[in-house]
Amino acid sequence: MDEKVVARARTELLKRLRDDHKPSVERTQELLKEQKRVQQAVCKSVRERSKTVPEIASEIEMPTHEVLWYVTSFKKYGLLRENGMCGDYPLYERVEEKAG
Amino acid sequence: MENKQVDAVVVGGGIAGMQAALDLADQGHKVVLVEREPTIGGKMIMLSKVFPTLDCCSCITTPKMSAVAHHPNIELFTYCEVQTVNESSAGFEINVLKKPRYVNEKTCTGCRNCEFECPVTVPSHFDRNLGSYHAIRVPFSTAVPQTAVLDMENCLLCGKCEKACPVGAVDFSQQPRYFNILTQSIILATGFELTDLQAKKEYGTRKLKNVIDPMMMERFLAPTGPYGRVLRPGDGKEPTSIAYVQCAGSRDETLGIDYCSRVCCMYAIKQSMLLNGALPLADITIYYMDIRTFGKGYEQFYQNAQAMGVEFVRGKVAKIHEDEEHNPIVRVEITESGEVVERTHDLVVLSLGMIPAYDPGQVFRVALGKDKFVHVPSLNSEPCMTDRPGIFVTGTAISPMDIVDSIITAGAAAVTASTYLRERTNDNVRYKLAVPEKEVSYA
Amino acid sequence: MPELDEINNGRKPAEEKNKIAGEAPRIGVYTCYCGGNISKVVQCEKVAKALGKLPDVTVSRTNMSLCSDAGQSMIEQDIRELGINRVVIGACAPSLHEQTFRGTVMRAGLNPYLYQHMGLREQDSWVHHEDPEGATDKAVRLMAAGVSKARLLQPLENIHLEAKKNALVIGGGVAGLRAALEIARLGLRVTLVEKSPFLGGRMAQLDTLFPTGESASLLLRILIERVAAHPSITLLTYAEVTEVSGYVGNFHVTVQQHSRGVNPMVADMYIAACNQEVADEYNHGLTQRKVIYKAYPGCYPSSPVVDWENYDGSPIVLNGKQVVLEDEINTIELDAGAIVLATGFDPYLPKVGEYGFGEIPEVVTLPQLIRYLALHKDENQLLWNGHAVRDVVLIHCVGSRQVEGISEPQPDGRVNDYCSRVCCTANLHMANELREHYPDMNIFNLYQDIRTYGRGHEDYYRQAMKNQVRFLLYHGDELPEVVAAPTGDLHPVLVRVNDYLTYGEELEVPADLVVLAVGIMPRQIDDLVQMLKVSRGVDRFLLEVHPKLRPVETAVNGVILAGSAQGPMNIQEAVTAASAAAAKVSALLGRGYVELPAYVAAVDPVKCEGSGVCVEVCEYDGAIALQTLNENGKEFRRAVVTPANCSGCGACVSACPTRAIDIQGWTLSQYEAMVDAIAIDDLTLLEVH
Repeated sequence: MDEKVVARARTELLKRLRDDHKPSVERTQELLKEQKRVQQAVCKSVRERSKTVPEIASEIEMPTHEVLWYVTSFKKYGLLRENGMCGDYPLYERVEEKAG
Repeated sequence: MENKQVDAVVVGGGIAGMQAALDLADQGHKVVLVEREPTIGGKMIMLSKVFPTLDCCSCITTPKMSAVAHHPNIELFTYCEVQTVNESSAGFEINVLKKPRYVNEKTCTGCRNCEFECPVTVPSHFDRNLGSYHAIRVPFSTAVPQTAVLDMENCLLCGKCEKACPVGAVDFSQQPRYFNILTQSIILATGFELTDLQAKKEYGTRKLKNVIDPMMMERFLAPTGPYGRVLRPGDGKEPTSIAYVQCAGSRDETLGIDYCSRVCCMYAIKQSMLLNGALPLADITIYYMDIRTFGKGYEQFYQNAQAMGVEFVRGKVAKIHEDEEHNPIVRVEITESGEVVERTHDLVVLSLGMIPAYDPGQVFRVALGKDKFVHVPSLNSEPCMTDRPGIFVTGTAISPMDIVDSIITAGAAAVTASTYLRERTNDNVRYKLAVPEKEVSYA
Repeated sequence: MPELDEINNGRKPAEEKNKIAGEAPRIGVYTCYCGGNISKVVQCEKVAKALGKLPDVTVSRTNMSLCSDAGQSMIEQDIRELGINRVVIGACAPSLHEQTFRGTVMRAGLNPYLYQHMGLREQDSWVHHEDPEGATDKAVRLMAAGVSKARLLQPLENIHLEAKKNALVIGGGVAGLRAALEIARLGLRVTLVEKSPFLGGRMAQLDTLFPTGESASLLLRILIERVAAHPSITLLTYAEVTEVSGYVGNFHVTVQQHSRGVNPMVADMYIAACNQEVADEYNHGLTQRKVIYKAYPGCYPSSPVVDWENYDGSPIVLNGKQVVLEDEINTIELDAGAIVLATGFDPYLPKVGEYGFGEIPEVVTLPQLIRYLALHKDENQLLWNGHAVRDVVLIHCVGSRQVEGISEPQPDGRVNDYCSRVCCTANLHMANELREHYPDMNIFNLYQDIRTYGRGHEDYYRQAMKNQVRFLLYHGDELPEVVAAPTGDLHPVLVRVNDYLTYGEELEVPADLVVLAVGIMPRQIDDLVQMLKVSRGVDRFLLEVHPKLRPVETAVNGVILAGSAQGPMNIQEAVTAASAAAAKVSALLGRGYVELPAYVAAVDPVKCEGSGVCVEVCEYDGAIALQTLNENGKEFRRAVVTPANCSGCGACVSACPTRAIDIQGWTLSQYEAMVDAIAIDDLTLLEVH
C-alpha cells in the first residue's frame, strides 16, 4: 500500500478518535499543560543547587505532597536524582543530558 | 476469538487463583484463568517481603506467575471481565469481555519505548497513587504478560507511542470484544481490597497526608517502590517515628466491619521489622487491641519484634489529627494504665482490614454471608464449596487469610473441583453413601 | 547374570534432545539483582563484565529478577537466538528456583542439566553485607567457578520411575479421613492405617463445632461413612506402620494389625464379665472403662476391642469357663506411591501442680470439660465433685506462649513458646455455652490476647461480652495462681491474678471450677519420624519444605503432611489442608511415574575393579551393590548403582581407589575445574580443559 495513503488513514483515525473521546482528550491536554509547567518550575528550582521537597514547594508555591509526587515521577523517568540529605530530607538535583 | 471449552474457569489471577489453576492443570485438566487487571499477581506482587520467613515476595510470586503463563493446560486471559454466566446441562456458559489494551498482545515485546515517549504522567495504581507512570505503560517490571496497556481516559491520542513502537503493536482501533467459554466448573478467586483509608472520620484521613495505608508502606519497603526508600508522602521526609494503628478497619461496628481481618497484626509486625532494617534509627510503635499472632512461627516472630525494640502499646486509638508541620498526632487511652495520651509521630500507618474485592452475587448468583464474603454453607466439611454446585471459592474471596492459608485453600479448591469434574462425567465413579459397615477382623 | 551391556542404571535411553551438547560450549551467564537482595551488596554489573571476558562466554547479562517471566524470557531468547548451549545463573539459593530455571531452559529446547546455578545471595550478599568489595570479588569467583563447570556439563535425564497409583494415609482422624477420601475420589487407591481401634481421632471427642454450632459427631459420622463406602479405600484400624523402605513412587510398608480380640456377636457378654478397668482416654481420664470396650456410642468400627496394652491377662469367666484373651498380630505388606502423615495432636497435659492440676480436684482441662458437659447434658445444674458450679474461671494459654524460665520445659528441654491457635475461640465457645445453658453461672476468662481470627470467630467474642462473661488480662511473665481455698470457704478454689484491665490490681477470684485451656502438641511419633526420615521444627511439629512454595510437602519426596501433625489447626483448617495434601498426592502419582533428579552415582564399568569399597561406605540401603557379571565367558565383579535409592551424597566417590565412580552432574573433574577458578590468582589465565 502506498505509504502516503497509510499515513493519511492513520491521521484520519486519530482525528476521529480525538473527536470521539473529546472530553477526556481535553482534560488530558489541560493536565499535560499543568505537568509541563510544574516540570519547568521544578527543574529551574534545582538548577542552581540541590533542594529538598519542602524547599522546592515553598519556592514554586505548591503543596509539598504534590511536589513530592512530581519529584518522584521525574526521578523515575530520569530527570532528577537524589544527591545526599539535608537533615531528614533527601536533596534532589537535575540529571544533565549526556553531551554528544 | 473462537468459543472455548474447558474443564475449569478460575476467576482472579492473584496467588489463590494462580495456585488453584496450577493445581488443576497439574492434574491434567484444561483451565482458563480470567483476570480483570492487565496483569496477574494480585495483591501479593505488590508486597515487599512476606511473613514469617521474610522471603522476598517477588521471588515467590513471579515463578508462579511464569508457571501459569507457560503451563500447557492453562490459557490466560488478562484485562478480561466475566459478564454473564448461564447454566445448562452442558455446563456453565460464560460470556467474557476483553477490554481493549490498544496494544497488540501478540506482537508487543514489553520494551517500554511507548511508555518513555508518552508525554502524559498519571498516578500509578500499583504504587497506590504515590508513584506514577505514563498513560501507556507496562504496569510494572515483573508483570505477566509483559505487555503494554493504554489508559484511554488519560490519553491525548497524540500518536507518539505508536510511532515509537518498533514492532507497530499500538493499535488505536481496538474495540471491546466478547467471547464465550463453556466450562464444567468455576473457581472464584477474586480476592480482597483494603478497607477504605478515608472510612473512619476520627482518623481524619481526608486531610492527613502522613497517615497512610499498609500497601503504601509495602511499596516503600519494596525494592521497586516509588521512592526507592521509606519517605512520608506529605513532604518526602525520612520518618524517625512511625506508628501503626491496629484494627483500623476491622472489629469496628461503626464501620460495618465487625470481623477480624486476620493478617493485620502480622503485617504490622513484619513491616516494623523491615523498617528496623531500612531506618535503623526510627522508633516504631504499634497501638493494638489484641495481638493475633496465631500461625506457625508467628508467636516467635512477635517476640523477635519485641526484642528488636518495636514498642507495643495496648490501646485502641481514638483519634488522629496533626500539628502545623503535618506530623500526625495519635490520641489513645493506654489500656493497662488508664492514661489518655497524645503522641506525635512522623508517619502513621493505619492497619486497614480486608473486604471482598468483588461481589459475585450478580453475575455468578452465589449467596453471600453477612460479612459480604462468599457464603460457604458447610465451612467445616466443604470449605471451598459455595451454595451452587460446580462453583467453588478460594483464597480471600472466602474470608481474610494470609498467603500460606490462601495457597493451601487453593489446593483444596482444586481438589474439590477436580473430584466434582470426575464424578460429574463418570457415573461409574459415583458411589453410594451410608452403606452397611464393612466386616472387621477379630480373633 | 546380566550382560555388561544391560547395565543402564535404570535410565531411559538418553534422548539426543540436543546434538549441540557435543559442540563447543557457548555459555550464557546471568547475574541476578534479586530485586536488590544481591545488588545492594554485590556490584552485579561489574561481575557481569568480568565474566564476559572469560573464554567460551558468549553473553553475560544482568537482570533485576531472573525468576520473573521477563527474566526467564531473556534467557530463553538467548538460547534460541544466540545458540547458547550452557547457562550459568547467579541468583538466590538453588533450593528456591533451580527447578524454575530448569523449566526455563527446557522450554527453550536445551537439556535442563546444561544449566548451572550459583548461589550469590545466601552464600554471598546476605553474609558479606559489611564488605561490598569483597562480596563482589567473591561473586566473580563463584560465577567463574560456575562457568568452568558449565564447560564440562553433559546432558542428563531425570530418573524415570514407575509409580504405584496408591497412597498410604497414616492417621484416621478428620485430616486422615478427608485426605483418604479425596485421594480415592481422584482415582487412586488408598490404605488408611489408624493406630487406635476406632476412627475419628480428636474430633470424636468434641461436642459442637465453631463457628457453625454443628454437631461434631454428626459431621464425623458422615465423613467416616463416605470413607468406608468408597471402594478404593482399605481401612486398617488397630494397626501400626512398623517398617518403611523404598522411595517416592515405590514405598514398601509393613503394617502390623492387632486383632480386635472378641467376636462381636458375644462381645457384650465378655464386657459384662470383664472386671479390669482403666482410665478412659476418650473422656480424658474423667471416667473409667473396661479393658474390653467400645470407644463411644456410634464409633466406627462398632465392634468392641480388647485394650491389649492394658489387659493384664487375667481370665474372663464366662458360662463357667475361663478364657484368656490373646492378641494375634497380623502382618500386612503393602506398596504405596506416596505417604500422607495425618497423625494429629495431643492436648497439652499440665504438670501436676501446674495451676493446681492433679492436686486440686476442681481444676480441669477444657477437653475434659467438653466431655464432662456432653455426659451431663440433660442436667439443669452443673455439679462437680457433688458441689454446684456457679463461678467458673477459664485460663487461656496453658501450655502455649510459654516463657522460658517461667514455665517448666518439656522433656526435650524446650518450652511451648508457640500459640495453639484454636483455644481462644474454643474458650469463648465454651463460655457462651455455659452462660446460655446455665444462666446463673458467672464466667471469668483470664487471657493474654483474644485471638478470634477466623471467619465467624469474632462473633463469639462479641457474644461473650453480651453474655456478661468477665475478662481479666494477665501478662505472660506473671502467670495466674490457683490455690485451694481455706476450709470453710464457700468456694473450693481461689484464683489470683494481676489484672491489667484494672491497671495491674491483684484480684482474687473465688471459683467452683477452674478450666485450663490447654494447648496443642504433636503426637509422639518418634518411630515414624525415624522410619520416614522427616524433619520436625523447633516447635516439634512436622516441618514442611517451605511454608509458601510447598506448604504440605516434607523434605522427603513422596511424604506429604495433612492436619495438626504439622501445626495447631481447627477442623476447617484441617479439612482444607487434607484436601491440599490430596492434590499433591494426585499430582505426584497421577501420571503413573515419578521423576527423580539425575544427581545419582554412575559407575564407569571400564575403570571399576570390583573392590567393593563403595558398597562399604554407602549409607543408603540398596543404593549400590557388587554384581557378578559375565563377558566372553569370564566372570568378574562390578559395582552397580540403583539410582532410585541413591541420594547422590558422594561418599562412594571419595572412597573409590580407581576413580571409577562419579555423581552425574557433579563429577570430580567438574569440581576440580571449579576449585581452579576459585583459587587461581588471575582468572584470565584459567586453562580451559
